[in-house]
Amino acid sequence: MIIIEDLKKIYRMGDVEVNALDGVTLDIAKGEFLGIMGASGSGKTTLLHMLGLLDEPTSGKITIDGIDVGRLNDYEKTQFRLYKLGYVFQDYALVPDLTVMENVSLPAMLRLDRTEQQTQAGSFEVLQKIGLCDRRDHLPRELSGGQQQRVSIARAMVNKPDILFADEPCANLDSENSRLVLELFKEINEEFHQTIVMVSHEDWHKDYFHRIIRLKDGKIVSDGTNGKSPH
Amino acid sequence: MGKKELKVAFLLALRSLQRGSRSSVILTILIIGMCFTNMIFLPSMFNGIGQSITKQVVDYEVGNVLVSPKSGDKYVADIHATLDLINGMPGVERATPHFSKGATLKYRQRVLGVTVRAISPNDEKSISPLYTKMVAGSYLGEADTGEVIIGRPVAGDSSIRQEDEFQASLGGVRVGDSINIDYGNGYVKDYRVKGIYFTGWSQADSAVYVTSTDMALVDPKALDNADYITVKAKPGYSEKFIKDELLAYGVGGTGKVQTTADLLSKSMGRALQSFAIINMVSLVVSIIITTVVLFIVITIKTISSRKQIGILKAIGVDKEVIMHNYGFQVIILGILGIILGIFLTLVLAAYMAYHPIVTPEWSATLYITPMDLLMNSVILFIAAIVAGYVPAYQISREDIQTAMRT
Repeated sequence: MIIIEDLKKIYRMGDVEVNALDGVTLDIAKGEFLGIMGASGSGKTTLLHMLGLLDEPTSGKITIDGIDVGRLNDYEKTQFRLYKLGYVFQDYALVPDLTVMENVSLPAMLRLDRTEQQTQAGSFEVLQKIGLCDRRDHLPRELSGGQQQRVSIARAMVNKPDILFADEPCANLDSENSRLVLELFKEINEEFHQTIVMVSHEDWHKDYFHRIIRLKDGKIVSDGTNGKSPH
Repeated sequence: MGKKELKVAFLLALRSLQRGSRSSVILTILIIGMCFTNMIFLPSMFNGIGQSITKQVVDYEVGNVLVSPKSGDKYVADIHATLDLINGMPGVERATPHFSKGATLKYRQRVLGVTVRAISPNDEKSISPLYTKMVAGSYLGEADTGEVIIGRPVAGDSSIRQEDEFQASLGGVRVGDSINIDYGNGYVKDYRVKGIYFTGWSQADSAVYVTSTDMALVDPKALDNADYITVKAKPGYSEKFIKDELLAYGVGGTGKVQTTADLLSKSMGRALQSFAIINMVSLVVSIIITTVVLFIVITIKTISSRKQIGILKAIGVDKEVIMHNYGFQVIILGILGIILGIFLTLVLAAYMAYHPIVTPEWSATLYITPMDLLMNSVILFIAAIVAGYVPAYQISREDIQTAMRT
């Protein structure tokens, strides 16, 4: 599903070079729930951004579903993100002027292969899934942090992407809401067999992952299964 | 850019305006509206002044076309034959001769220098609305002799002391009073004031009107000569058409034929040029203000939404959608601002129609045509779009990482 070959990312800050990623090589199978863990500054988010086509590597290659994404132009990357990928951010990143329903529908509205009715039905379906149908006409600021993160997950889910990326989605949530969100990811993974790549630094999250890679100084220092396998 | 993308861009724009900062939206619309009003106000007022002067000149001085003495001549001669010729032409409502003489008026202890204008009262009715401007007494009859009508400023006001008068007058002449007119050629006569008029056009209001019959007694030349002939066009006929017709019929051999526009372009050319320069400055300043304000508003909006723009791009929203989102916001703000501007302008125009700025020479109202409104709307709209799309284009090109790090 995802093949990462010798991925490097060097940030230049004046004369100083920082190796955020230093030769990461990794395969992620379809349906896998992968956890990327590591200390702050280890390169977790950088790796996630490379995989999510939000940033470009200095060198190396990423192949998703047989497509060398490094060769895609700006427009093709946007379309790839729209049709193939879903993204959940640490701080929810909802559009504050749109209602819950509009936030969730937004990516689906841009898909050329969906009618307006299909968009509405699809959005309603994921809102039902996250249990926020009754809040669909509310604005994000009228929701709790946990609810906002669930809406963010619904938005990432609405296009039924092949891969879901989550960048520390529980970082701003209490343990109860964190558990709700992780359970939701688990359900999604089990029900729709979506590949999920999630960055976390909370040790107890590892119980939900099939596989965990640990990064340190931009390198993979461990890669192991969690006794679970993809569906 | 497909229909769906435009729809999403429009939705984002609409929601941002609906649910974003209301005070910012209202202030921006107000500024655009004010700029529109400013763009159109001065030119419209100058046009109004121009229209007012033109109307007064047409109504009380020269009609639509003026036949004046040829170079070297003092009078237009053989006026009866010339009038018959002109009055028979298609498109001519009426032509009438004017003969004027300087004179001194005396009333009680007051002495005043004026121009006495001789008219054919019935013909004049077809040329000038003077007969409708009587504020006391009545208009001249065709066969009246020994009677005059005088302007209200000439008649004066008995309650105002002579030293306090803004304009010299006879100090309160009333209808039925007798005034003495000394023409300076040895002809002195007492006239009964038949009526007092007020037109608002200072040259006419400072004059005294007598019948041509009366003037012939003062100066026999008035029998078959005129200082000039005024020609009024029928509705639907242009001044140019009448002028060309007069020239084609040989009136050019009798006198010099000029339209009102010809005369005004000479006498008011410099004033019109100054008006045009002021209009242009006002227009450019308004456009610059609108452009800068919208540029700042949209720049602030985009800068404060950089992270959100990065997020939108991350979830698959194309940069064109993001750019058009801000573009649509400017279009909506521009349209609402222009509508407000048109409303304010029309309210001002209505107010000034009832309360014009009146001077002895002209009265200023706002003269606005639909084309003025359309042209200014289009100019302002284009300025708004440019001002909005430039920052929107710049921000939409920013890479996701830079935007999201903000």
